[in-house]
Amino acid sequence: MSALLEQHIVELLRERNEKAISLLYDHYGDTLFGVAYKVVRDEELAQDILQESFVKIWRKSDTYDSSKAKLFTWLFRITRNTAIDKLRSSNTKMEKEIQMDVSDVYNLGIESIKPEFLDVRENLEKIEQKYQIVLDALFFQGMTQQEASDELEIPLGTIKSRLKIGLRELRKIYGSTRALLALIISIL
Amino acid sequence: MKEKIRIFLDTDLLEKYLLGTTSQEETLQVERYIAMYPEVRKTFDELQGNLEAFAKMHALTPPEGLKAKILAVIRAQDSGRRRFRRYAIAASIAAFIFAGSSYFFYNQNQNLQQKNVIVNNKIKNLEADMREQLEDVRNQFIVLNNPNTRKYYMKGNERAQELKAIAYVNPVKKLSYINVQNLPQLPEDQCYQMWAEVNGEMVDMGIIGDFGKNDKLFALPYSDHAMGYITIEPKGGNTAPTVENIVANLKY
Repeated sequence: MSALLEQHIVELLRERNEKAISLLYDHYGDTLFGVAYKVVRDEELAQDILQESFVKIWRKSDTYDSSKAKLFTWLFRITRNTAIDKLRSSNTKMEKEIQMDVSDVYNLGIESIKPEFLDVRENLEKIEQKYQIVLDALFFQGMTQQEASDELEIPLGTIKSRLKIGLRELRKIYGSTRALLALIISIL
Repeated sequence: MKEKIRIFLDTDLLEKYLLGTTSQEETLQVERYIAMYPEVRKTFDELQGNLEAFAKMHALTPPEGLKAKILAVIRAQDSGRRRFRRYAIAASIAAFIFAGSSYFFYNQNQNLQQKNVIVNNKIKNLEADMREQLEDVRNQFIVLNNPNTRKYYMKGNERAQELKAIAYVNPVKKLSYINVQNLPQLPEDQCYQMWAEVNGEMVDMGIIGDFGKNDKLFALPYSDHAMGYITIEPKGGNTAPTVENIVANLKY
């Protein structure tokens, strides 16, 4: 998302303008829904989480500090925390299943991806699964590197190097989109 | 310094901070590092970008209608809050008015109670005064109207020849009154004082003012074989009669 649009949304939030939520939903709704789904693995529950998260975003909008984090980071934190709380309050058996079955993460993610995300899926495929699993543990499961090493039964050193490569790969994709965006903005 | 940053980056604190799972203490530490070292700032910005990119890869389209539902929920909550705020403001104003009026009425009540005490005291005093005066008048009436009452005339000696007084003494009721009528004018620094000798003791009966004008009866202490005296004394009265200044006496 362009910095300009992000700034505009932040201003609208500060003014308590409901248009901010509409814009946030249009630009981040899919991603945040994906985040909620990644955590709970249940579409209906993910819908509840998305709704709850947006209510929280609206209510807590005065706590967002743009000097500390990007808008998406803040949105992600709220959504992920809401999802984890939901998961804890729903049954624990299900939670275990999800946490352990890391190999399932990739497949489920792909299966539920809709045609309009084909380009994104292509991007995802650019990153090898072994890196994805580490990134997944870091970003979605919120594991420390040590925890990931224990959970995935991979030595800590390997986790570290895989994370490094995974992040680099990610940066390549992310960096190219950003460069493209910068180009479009400069043309405009 | 480089080593310090490397050690910091080696911990998972920055990643934990990214996801918002750091403790309050850790959060402060991370924010300090970000503010102090551009290298940490850069790493954090990259992590933020990576997170967004990675999350976007897992984007899913939510079902249609969810956006409208969410907006409706937010709108409902907001109007609820606005309504609550309106009620809260109204309640605050009402409470304020209530407190103000309570204070006002409390003050008024306090003032009225004070006034009430004053008025009650006045009434009591008046009542006591009235009873006293009524008693006096009744006694006067008894004395004047009683057949046993004897009437004595009192005349001034050569120093006050115009002085005339009538005393009424009732030995049955043991009441005596004197009506001093004509008192010769005295210099400004002198006055007439009435005395009664009762059982060998001189009792101060007070200064005689303008009795002549009022025709007022003046109660005397009763005693068998008492004596009444009128003396000229310095203005304001004296504690003991000045014998050489006796202008009239009366045996009753």
